[in-house]
Order: sequence, then C-alpha cells, then structure tokens
Amino acid sequence: MTTREIDGIRLEQVREFVWEIPQEGDMRAPARVLASDALLDEIGEDKTLQQLQNATHLPGITKHAICMPDGHQGYGFPVGGVGATDAETGCISPGAVGYDINCGVRMMKTNLTYDDVQGREEELVEALFANVPSGLGGGGVVDGDRETIEAVLERGVDWALEEGWAVPDDLEHCEDEGRRPDADPSAVSQKAKDRGKNQLGSLGSGNHFLEIQRVTDVYRDGVAGAYGLEPDQIVVLIHCGSRGLGHQTCTDYLRKIEKEHGDLLAELPDKELAAAPAGSELAEAYYGAMCACINFAWVNRQLIMHRVRQVFARVFDRSWESMDMHLLYDVAHNIAKKESHTVGVDAEGRPVPDGEATDEEERELYVHRKGATRAFPAGHPEVPAAYRDVGQPIIIPGSMGAGSYVLRGGESSLDLTFGSTAHGAGRLMSRTQAKQEFWGETVQDELREQNQVYVKAQSGATVAEEAPGVYKDVDEVVRVSDALGIGDKVARTFPVCNIKG
Amino acid sequence: MGYELRPHTADVAVAATGATLGEAFAATGDGLAAATCDRIPDTGERFSLTVRAEGLEALLFDYLDQLIYERDVRGVLPVANEASVRNADTEWVVDASARGVPFADVTARDVKAVTYSEMRIEETDAGWETYVVLDV
Repeated sequence: MTTREIDGIRLEQVREFVWEIPQEGDMRAPARVLASDALLDEIGEDKTLQQLQNATHLPGITKHAICMPDGHQGYGFPVGGVGATDAETGCISPGAVGYDINCGVRMMKTNLTYDDVQGREEELVEALFANVPSGLGGGGVVDGDRETIEAVLERGVDWALEEGWAVPDDLEHCEDEGRRPDADPSAVSQKAKDRGKNQLGSLGSGNHFLEIQRVTDVYRDGVAGAYGLEPDQIVVLIHCGSRGLGHQTCTDYLRKIEKEHGDLLAELPDKELAAAPAGSELAEAYYGAMCACINFAWVNRQLIMHRVRQVFARVFDRSWESMDMHLLYDVAHNIAKKESHTVGVDAEGRPVPDGEATDEEERELYVHRKGATRAFPAGHPEVPAAYRDVGQPIIIPGSMGAGSYVLRGGESSLDLTFGSTAHGAGRLMSRTQAKQEFWGETVQDELREQNQVYVKAQSGATVAEEAPGVYKDVDEVVRVSDALGIGDKVARTFPVCNIKG
Repeated sequence: MGYELRPHTADVAVAATGATLGEAFAATGDGLAAATCDRIPDTGERFSLTVRAEGLEALLFDYLDQLIYERDVRGVLPVANEASVRNADTEWVVDASARGVPFADVTARDVKAVTYSEMRIEETDAGWETYVVLDV
C-alpha cells in the first residue's frame, strides 16, 4: 500500500486518486482526499488536511469526510469539503456550509457564436459592467423593501416569475425549480434582512464574477446535445451567492450555537465547526433559515441573468428570446441538504463508519457541501426531468485565463462522494501574495492581448487577487473528477468578457 | 501599534496590536477596513456603536460583525476606529466609534464575514495582540 505523510497526517492510497486518512483518536469516521499526486502536493501545502480531519469529529458523520480535488484551506471545514451527517442522530453545521450560503454558479446558453460577438467585446463588457451591480455598495438590480425580501426568502424564483424577472423555463432548469420548500423566512434575523435589502441582484466581489464565454471543446456529444451545447457557441456564466443576507445568517447561527450548545462545541476541535444537534430547535431553525438564504441566492443569480438578457437585447438590437437565452442549470456550492443515501449501520440500525458496519440502510442525511457541487447521475429522481436521462449538469468555473468546464453527474458519485464533485479550480495562493506578485492592470492587458479576454472590475486589486496564476490547474481537477466517474467531462468554455467587483 | 494584513489561502487575516484591549480592537477594525479598501480618503461622519458579549473572543467577533453590518446598512466604510473595552459583571462590552466613509468615495471590495478560525487575543508585555481571519 502506498502511504504518504504530510504534516504528521498519514494518508493511505485506496486506489488511483483516492487517499484515506484512517480513523484514529476522536475521529468519528475516516477522511478521504480525491486527488492526483500533483493536486495532493498542493492540498498538503496549507491546513486543508488538518481541517478535513477535524471535520470527521462532527457528530453523526457517516462513511467519510471527503475533500474534493480542488480542496483548499477554509475556516473550520475545508473548502472543497463534503460531510454527510445523520439527520436523526447527527448534527447540522453552519460552519460546514460556510458564510456565503448557496454561493453558486449558473450558465445561460445563447444561439450566438463567437463570430457574432468578436469586435463587440468592449461594448458588451461596458454595458454589462454598467448594468449589473458589483463591488461594495453597488446596490442591486431590484430595490428590495421588507415585503420583497420576505417573498424572495419564502418563494425563491417563483417570486421572480411573478414579478416578470423569470420565465417558466428558468424554473424547470434550476435545482428544486428554484424554490426550497423548507425555507423559513422567520428564522432569518432582521439584521440579515437589513443587509440583503439593497443587495438583491448584485455580484459582490472577491472571486465572484460574470463572464461571457465561448464553447471551445465538446467531449461527450450526446450529453452536450441534451444540454444544448456546441462548439463556438456563446454562453454566460454567473458566479455569486446570497450576499450580506447569507453571511449574516451564518454569523447569527454560529453565535447562537456557541451560546446554546457549548457542550457540543467543546467536543469539536475548531469553533468554526459549530454544529446544532439534529432534532434540536436550533438545528430546525438554522435549516429553515439556510433554505431561505438558498432561495435568496437563486433569485440573486436569476435577477442578474435576466438583466444580462436585457443588456444583450440592447447591444444586439433584438429580443433575448430570439437569441435563445435560456438557463442551462444553476448549481450551489455552499449548502447542506437533507438527502437520502445508503450508509453502513450497526446491528441496531445506527449509522456507523463502514469498517464497523454490519449492514447498509437508506438514511436521511444532512449532506454538507462547502465549495463542492452536487453531481447526481442519470436516473436520479432529483435531477430535473430535462436532464434525467443524461445526468445533472455541473458547472466548474476556472480562472480568467484557463476557462471553465461543464460536466455531468457521474455514475460513481453516489458511492464515492454522496453525489458530489469539485466546484472550481481552487485557490493556490493567498490574496495578499497575489497582490504582491500581480498588478491588476498588467493582468488585464495581458489577458486582452494574449487571450482576447476583456476584463473590467471595480477594483484593480480584485483583478490581481483573481489572476489566473493564483488558481490550481482546473484541467487536472476535472481530469480527476472524470477519471473517478463522479463528474464526467461534457464541454469546455473559454472567457470572452469578464466583469467583477 | 496598528495592524498588518497576513496571508491566508482563500481569505485574509488581520494581526493587530494595541497598548490597551480597546486599541487592539480598534486596530483590528482598521485592518478590516484595509482588507476592504487600499486607499482611504478623509471624508465621512463619525458614528458610535456599543457591543456586548459573553467573552472576549465573542466580543471581538461581534464587534467586527457589527462593523460589517453598519457598513452594509449605512452604506459607509467604517475607518479610523476607536474603541474601549470593559468587563461588566458577567459580560464584556466594547464602546466604539468609527468614521463612516461614504461608498461613493472609495473603491472597495466586500469582506463577507468575520470568522473564529485561528482567532487569538493575547496580552503581551507591550499590551494586546489580536489575530482574526476574515472571509473574503
């Protein structure tokens, strides 16, 4: 057996691209890292492995805590982490979801080709930048009053449809049809609602962006056909989350858990893993609040997408419908969701790590995905009808210089990762180091001259912090996902225009 | 006495010092502003805030969280922070003020939240030191 030791943590290779940290000490399950040697070297450079090991301390964690190929250090739970806890005997952890609840990505298709856009990039990037709010204090597409925020939290994209910001086809191509039925707006604090009010329909900043892209490669013709993707086609990718409303909700519940479940917190190796015991009042409240934030984030991306349709209609002087600007899919990166999965149980039917299991059982779990994407395979009942025959679309955004991928949920995802795969390229370098190594304007000029990518940002520092060189090799991340059969390569895209905060 | 921004793979950390706890808290608040914005103009009116919590780490967490909340709701970047920290029976209290620079006057990035990750508040020979990781 091949073993490696990184910073005092021993990893055993289970098979190609699968490494296991055996269960020991207070760990409640083993941990697994899905990575090539090169990716494991990078993952081992910060505290990702320690944080992954810590994640196995969560009560009721089943099978393994898993680090996706793009994993990197977060706070508490690693980014790229998946942890499934028993929904009856385990816990739900706001820390394992993250501050930006339902940070995610959606892709909108068009019938335009790269030829239609070439020569108009400048006009497009300026028009998008002027019309899609970004950065700090840029406002939102919609001015949200109290009633609006309540409706968005409760009804998600249904609200957008009622208000003319969506068409029925958008709902059919979104997870849960854009509305989490378990949402409880009353569990979201007034403070969080105050922060969300003027941010409804805004990108924010950091790694969030809006990008016009062209499809450069298709790897699985049949699936690409079902998704409506073909070479040279123009698509639009939108990456953002639930803004201040979601951040405040996570903060609020971390503090509530600290005050009410200090005993459980004291057992955990990191305060940021804060968890509420399954069945407790706080677990129910957090789940309801988180689901409401999921709705908010879906509406946020929907409003931006619809605004992009209006911008395209103006720039190309034709209706957006005539450009077939339809949603391909919307994926969430930071959520916990009640899902049924097959897990090992002991003689009394209690969920236990695989090594101690005497039987298997279908259990309801809170599947925490933090910087990880749901990747359900063909045939799964929760995949929208439009894609049930081929598998759920997965959108993996890469850097401004490397392009992005569309994958489909792979056949092995339910066995290996509770139906999950990577969420992006994963950062390699800190923001402070990035600003020392790159200069925003130089990055912008180089992208334009060498790659024909037009970038416009509120802040040059953001461009430096998000320079292509600060990210891992997205090709390698996708290669591992594809080889493991958790997310299969369908198509690749390359940026044309990019706006960010 | 002041702050430094420190590297963190995904986020940004602030290491701050102060002769008193209050100064160290205020310097951490200034670090939060620096993580948001590179150049800070002299504009804006001062505003006050008071935050109470059950412990010192919780107080620093809640104080920075409140600055982020005030930022989003008032539409200003809190800078030039001043703070004093006191212990009142079973709780800790920070009485603070900041100058709120209107968003229109700055090119600023969003800091999403304060975290407990690797948080430290330590007394030293020279006063107090803090270390906080911010979610960017």
